[in-house]
Amino acid sequence: MPTWLILAKGPAFFFTLAVFVLGLLRLIVLTIWDIAAAIRRAGDRRVPYVQIARQTLSWLVPFKHLHRARALYSFASFGLHVSLLFAVLFLRNHLGILQDNIGFSWFTISKQILDFLTVIGIAGALILLLSRMYVIGSRHLSKVSDYLLLILLLNIFVSGFIAGRAWNPIPYDGLMLFHTLNGMALLLVTPFTKIAHCALFPLVRLGSEVAWRLMPQGGSKVIESLHSPEGRKI
Amino acid sequence: MANAPTLKNSSAQPPQYSYHVEPTVDPDHRAEKFLAAFAAILRHSNYRFILDLFARTSARCGRCAASCQVYQASNEPRDIPCHRTHLLLDVYRQYFTTRGEFLSRVLGQDSLSNGKIDEIAECFYRCLACRRCSIDCPIGIDHGLMTHLGRYILSEAGIAPKGLVVSVREQLEGASGNTSAIPLPALLDNLEFLQDELRDMKGAAVNFPVDQEDAEYIFLPAVSDYLMEADTLMGNAAVLHAAGTSWTIGSKYFDGINYGLFYNDWILERIIHKLAGEAHRLKAKKILIGECGHAARTARQFLPAFAGEQSLPVVSILELTWQAIQQGKLKLSPTTITERVTYHDPCNIARSGWIVDQPRHLLRSFVSDFVEMNPHGRENYCCGGGSGLVSLDETYEFRMKVSGKTKAEQIRASGAQIVATPCANCKKQLRELMDFYKLPVQVVGVHDLVLRAIEF
Repeated sequence: MPTWLILAKGPAFFFTLAVFVLGLLRLIVLTIWDIAAAIRRAGDRRVPYVQIARQTLSWLVPFKHLHRARALYSFASFGLHVSLLFAVLFLRNHLGILQDNIGFSWFTISKQILDFLTVIGIAGALILLLSRMYVIGSRHLSKVSDYLLLILLLNIFVSGFIAGRAWNPIPYDGLMLFHTLNGMALLLVTPFTKIAHCALFPLVRLGSEVAWRLMPQGGSKVIESLHSPEGRKI
Repeated sequence: MANAPTLKNSSAQPPQYSYHVEPTVDPDHRAEKFLAAFAAILRHSNYRFILDLFARTSARCGRCAASCQVYQASNEPRDIPCHRTHLLLDVYRQYFTTRGEFLSRVLGQDSLSNGKIDEIAECFYRCLACRRCSIDCPIGIDHGLMTHLGRYILSEAGIAPKGLVVSVREQLEGASGNTSAIPLPALLDNLEFLQDELRDMKGAAVNFPVDQEDAEYIFLPAVSDYLMEADTLMGNAAVLHAAGTSWTIGSKYFDGINYGLFYNDWILERIIHKLAGEAHRLKAKKILIGECGHAARTARQFLPAFAGEQSLPVVSILELTWQAIQQGKLKLSPTTITERVTYHDPCNIARSGWIVDQPRHLLRSFVSDFVEMNPHGRENYCCGGGSGLVSLDETYEFRMKVSGKTKAEQIRASGAQIVATPCANCKKQLRELMDFYKLPVQVVGVHDLVLRAIEF
């Protein structure tokens, strides 16, 4: 068995998967706990859940939003997200590894469709990378981690795409080892980087709304803790 | 004193802001003060969880840059909403999270400097807090909330615009008890004058009731309307009279303005208590807010949060007027307003509120040539003076050349001769913009037009 397959079916991968799942689960639980606590402390506990759910859903299928701002970037980003989700979750090879690791998997999608989506994913990641490099506003906002994560994604997409091609000039097993290591790295960093939005996304709009529900007497307590008994002058 | 992180080094430089600040902060210890205030606010508020959530999910995609009118006009990266939010998130991460503290020790990151605080103070007062960027954020980060929090921390560290502070001081601790320092006798004289004006203009005995107990509504406009917007007030009173509504103005408190929204939660809550107290004293059943965006938003959003059992339903005068039209209680001549009219949405009641369709229905019911600006409604552009900037005269050049530029272009493109907007702050900013860009456009309140068209 080649090294990459031993790695993918071995304890290292299982550990990586556990970090990914448990790490994200921890973030979800913490966030829900925090939001619930914030609502309990708030003076006004009415939260428009239905409206927030609608807004959140409209961004999960964001066709009506994409053209509104930075259209090229937005479509590229959407393509990248769709491609990543489908390639990770529905590629036969991935599901085989999942079956070996946790004992179950689900249906797959045809390789032709996934190949097409992978090309979109590569194009999307490249556009995002070039935007970060050459669009002034984007460049200013970008940190090293933003570039590294995009490069990690590109590594995964490109290596996965060309590995199975007849014209692939790189040794198959070496390329697949590269693909597997990058994939594991992505899973490992997900709970600790901005990619955590893959799990926390449904809670951000709710959190934004809840944070506006201020605590009664909160301001007075801040004044008491910062100033002398005479209190703060306006 | 709340437990605050300590700083190793801090270079003392005199603070330089584009707005006036009272000398209440020790210039050598701005960073220390900022961290102490940040720590205290985290301990006694609901803000910590949202900082954690934003810090974990913000993708820094920069989409907000495309929807921010300030950045679009200035092209300065410091005006990108996400950049501003990350100024705060970076401080939070470094000083108030275990992981951030550990990493900053390992990586030997610089301590927060006075210069960094000045950068934060400058950036957070270039934001209009219009929240337009939030509707385009794919993740759902509310940069307006971060501006609100950032300014709150700054103000507790002693950095807040003098223009806002002085007004609030008069409102909460001054003899007049309102932001425009109008003494009660002057208000009563003014109301008498307005009654006479209305009688002469419309031939109707419209009353401005004061201290009437058990009225349906206690009425609170932006108090500056009493000095500057006679037509708006007369329009309000004319509608209330024609609709047969029982209403009153409170003599102990008659100011709808709440600048706390722009810079400090403690102030915000105190003003809400004042408002609720006066409504309670007069046993009013509802609170009616005049033509003022942030006054309507603060009352509606924060009365239930802070006033407890004294909380009352909050109604905007625009809702009431539209309802009166629907009920056939108002006669508005469809031939009086012949000019082309457009409507500017105040951000605080449109994007952050519930007033979008009502004023449009209202205006269309008697204005023959009504046009929309593009975009409008919840996606409108701010007037350019939002978040209290319009009250700071020293920001005039910024408001004209940068933050208000897009709005001026929008109004020019509409071809309107009149811009109607139900907000004292928006009106001031738009009038200055029309002068600055030499646009022959009249800026009025919605009820100024109602006053012209109403028939008794």
